[in-house]
Amino acid sequence: MTPDKSDVLYGTLGLMVVKTLEALGPLHGYRIARRIEQISGNQLALNQGTLYPALLKLEQMGWISSRWGTSETGRRVKVYALTRAGRKQLAREEAQWQRAAGIVERFLKIPEGS
Amino acid sequence: MITRLRIFLFRLRALVRARQMDRDLEDEIGSHLAEAAEEYIRQGLSPEEARRAARRSFGGVPQTQEICRQVRSFAWLEELSRDLRYALRTLRKNPAFTVTAAATLALAIGANTVMFSVVDAVLLRPLPYRAPEELAMLWTEDPAINLREGRSALWDVAQWRERSESFVDIATFDSVSTLLTGADGVEQADGASMSPNLLSVLGVQPILGRAFSTDEAGQRQAVILISHRFWQARFGGAPDALGATLIVNGLPSQIVGVLPAGFAIAGVDADLWRPHPARPAVRGGQTWFVVARLRPGVSDGHAQTEMSAIARRLDDELPAEARNQGIAVVPLSLYVVGPQPRLALWLLGAAVFCVFLIAAANVTSLSLARGAARAREMAVRAALGANAGRLVRQLLTESLVLAVLSGSIGTLLAVWGIRLVRAFGPATLPRLNEVSVDLRVLGCAIAIALLSGIVVGLAPAMTALRRDLRPSGEESGRTVSGGSSSRRMRRSLVVAEFALAIVLLVGAGLLVRSWWHVINVDVGFDSERVLLMGISTPPALTVPAERTALYLRVLEEVQAVPGVERAGIIDDLFTGNPRERVITVERNDGAVTERARLTSDEVSPDFFAAMGTPLLRGRVFSATDRIDAPLVAIVNEAMARRSWPRQDPVGRRFTFGARDAGAPWFTVVGVVGDMRRQGPERTALPQVFVSLAQSPASRSVNLLIRTSSDDLLGMGDALREAVRRVDRNAPIVGVAPLEQQLGTYVAQRRFQTSLLTGFSLVALLMAAVGVYGLIQYSIATRTREIGLRMAIGAQRADIFRMVVGEGLALSVTGAVIGLAGAWWLGRAGSSLLFGVAAGDPLTFATVLLLLIAVAAAACYVPARRAMNVDPIRALRVT
Repeated sequence: MTPDKSDVLYGTLGLMVVKTLEALGPLHGYRIARRIEQISGNQLALNQGTLYPALLKLEQMGWISSRWGTSETGRRVKVYALTRAGRKQLAREEAQWQRAAGIVERFLKIPEGS
Repeated sequence: MITRLRIFLFRLRALVRARQMDRDLEDEIGSHLAEAAEEYIRQGLSPEEARRAARRSFGGVPQTQEICRQVRSFAWLEELSRDLRYALRTLRKNPAFTVTAAATLALAIGANTVMFSVVDAVLLRPLPYRAPEELAMLWTEDPAINLREGRSALWDVAQWRERSESFVDIATFDSVSTLLTGADGVEQADGASMSPNLLSVLGVQPILGRAFSTDEAGQRQAVILISHRFWQARFGGAPDALGATLIVNGLPSQIVGVLPAGFAIAGVDADLWRPHPARPAVRGGQTWFVVARLRPGVSDGHAQTEMSAIARRLDDELPAEARNQGIAVVPLSLYVVGPQPRLALWLLGAAVFCVFLIAAANVTSLSLARGAARAREMAVRAALGANAGRLVRQLLTESLVLAVLSGSIGTLLAVWGIRLVRAFGPATLPRLNEVSVDLRVLGCAIAIALLSGIVVGLAPAMTALRRDLRPSGEESGRTVSGGSSSRRMRRSLVVAEFALAIVLLVGAGLLVRSWWHVINVDVGFDSERVLLMGISTPPALTVPAERTALYLRVLEEVQAVPGVERAGIIDDLFTGNPRERVITVERNDGAVTERARLTSDEVSPDFFAAMGTPLLRGRVFSATDRIDAPLVAIVNEAMARRSWPRQDPVGRRFTFGARDAGAPWFTVVGVVGDMRRQGPERTALPQVFVSLAQSPASRSVNLLIRTSSDDLLGMGDALREAVRRVDRNAPIVGVAPLEQQLGTYVAQRRFQTSLLTGFSLVALLMAAVGVYGLIQYSIATRTREIGLRMAIGAQRADIFRMVVGEGLALSVTGAVIGLAGAWWLGRAGSSLLFGVAAGDPLTFATVLLLLIAVAAAACYVPARRAMNVDPIRALRVT
């Protein structure tokens, strides 16, 4: 593990998964993990295994659904897709994150001595 | 909200398909790793390196699986089911422990549940009246003649009602002899009489029809209320019973209402209730039970103070011979179950709880021993990362599983036991018929089972906590000692068991001794081979002389039956609560009028011979003591002592009533021995017997028939036949051996005694098992030490003495503590004893010896085993 990679910010993995599924459509676990790593420009220290509990949580909440399918390499894999509830939830969470990030950003922009 | 529901449903599904989901996850991770490895190969790594890299980028596979499992499960449920499975497996692996512990606890739980159901029904459940705590019985008392709980005359009750302010209302009632004429002749019925306000005082409504009005009572109208039981039996519960007419005591009487099921008051439980007026003009006459409702907020004590003052004022206004009356206010609930059965029940309840404590102590001790043996297992689990709380929970789960198991068996035992108690319990214990398995009782069983689970689980759990959880060299070796704290706890448990057992044993011993005294009391008559038969006269015989004639003819006929040796008549053999009467007796110093509590009965000449009561002086009645001859009487010793102290009563005269009242004088012609007709535990009252032929006969009498036959009941038919030959319409109340009648007096004592004896034997057995288990275990863990002792020269006898000594020291310590407790408890319950002191040395000594013998026996087997330890084997290090 390279030291300059940052850990996944707490509570963001689910959002990343959902956003990835929204952008790329149904995917299996390995592809999701790889997409997240690629999108982060390989800056994220993702333990790929942690993806699975996150997927399970999302499925429990009904935001994604799963079914068995076949990967591009012909393997039997579980394919995850965004549900309607997940789409709605994503919109909400996105807005929340934008706001939260905006607030943090403003603090970071406070010039010294003001 | 919807999300939560989704999560719940998902987890529920996951719970059912746990295995499938585990497999799926494994497959999924497998594919993931394969895909990743393939990509690494494409990047140019060797297959071996690619697989390793894939694993590295994935992280820990088992951890991921575990986290997933946690995410999808109800964590606590999963853990619980794992604990449960583990507990069941552990219990199954140790059948000896499981069976012993479960059987012990089940017995204790069952016994406690039965006892609780009895205490609940008899003592705790409120009486079936409105606001029963406001109801009290009012009694006439006279300390001078040792009269307690005396019934009262209507005139007195009227005075009380007028003068007192404590009560909303006062009502009177009593059972009265009642004959019912039906299609097939006359029969005896359970009848009673009530003042018209009784139902409103009790707050009870007829379920059909109405109560009596005051007018009906005043005009003595022939109206009756019937019991629910009678209504069901005679009318099949049909509503047209209202308005129907029954011939009661020869008088057509209209049914105006039906009482609720189970209606009874203070032991008076009748099928036919008639009204009686509440305000008679004159004093005296029949006496009644009195029940009153206190005004809200008025305490029993306050009412008692007021009534005592009223009694004093009445005393001042009344003539001398009527004085000295007190009035007692007794809460109804206290009267219904008197202080003695109450105390007995509480003591029995405490006793059975002691049995439970001993059982719990035993099982605790067992599981402590096992806990010590499992020290290694616990240590290993701790080393693997289980924290203390986790281990305690595991142990508690185990003991709760055990408790549930024993609880279920115990409840079954209780159901069976309650049936047994209802079948064999004493009829004299009030409300016993209300004992049943209901929710309260089941709740009690569950509570006891859970309590036992916690108690039994807690001790090993506590020691498990305290013990150093790391495996030490010593504990992994042969000298596992079980930890000194567990050892101390087990020793104190054994001491406590013996202490409790001895308390119970002494209690049982004292009761057994009392019982022995009671059944060996000289009741003053010989009940062997004597039959008691009650007969009544048909209502047509209104002239008393006709009744007398009928009785004497029946007597003649009965005496002619083969197998009959002697037969006698008395009006009422077992009078429960005789009234006090004014009597004037002639002594050396002249005639004295006094008030005395005595019974006066009409008897036939052969009565004393039939009863086997000895004639001490003078003569019994003869055929010449007829209505036209001078009036004669026979007195018993108690009467002779009371009225003619140190004088010969024969030839003396007395009369009922004051000296100048003009009542006829009786001349005493004989003195007979005392008869304990109120039961063997009550001393004989003064008794006066007059000749049946010289007095107006009552409506019903008892025939005493001494037979030469051993088949008493076989005689019954011949006797019935003899009565019918005289008068087809004379109702026969029943034929029963006299001993059976006496038996009901001692039934309650027998019930208490056998229960407590049973409990204490169980307790002793359990204590013995306890000391046996402890010693056995102690030897098993000290084999090495014993071997060492023998190797350096200890004799086998020394070892034997050492082991037995250890067990005896514990049991004797327990015994000494127990003896102190028993002495204290015996004094608290001394009112239950009869003819034996609370500190009876014989009982104490016997029990102590018995206990030491049992303890020694329990130590013998392990001691023998210790004695035969082979020192070479014991010392060989493995």
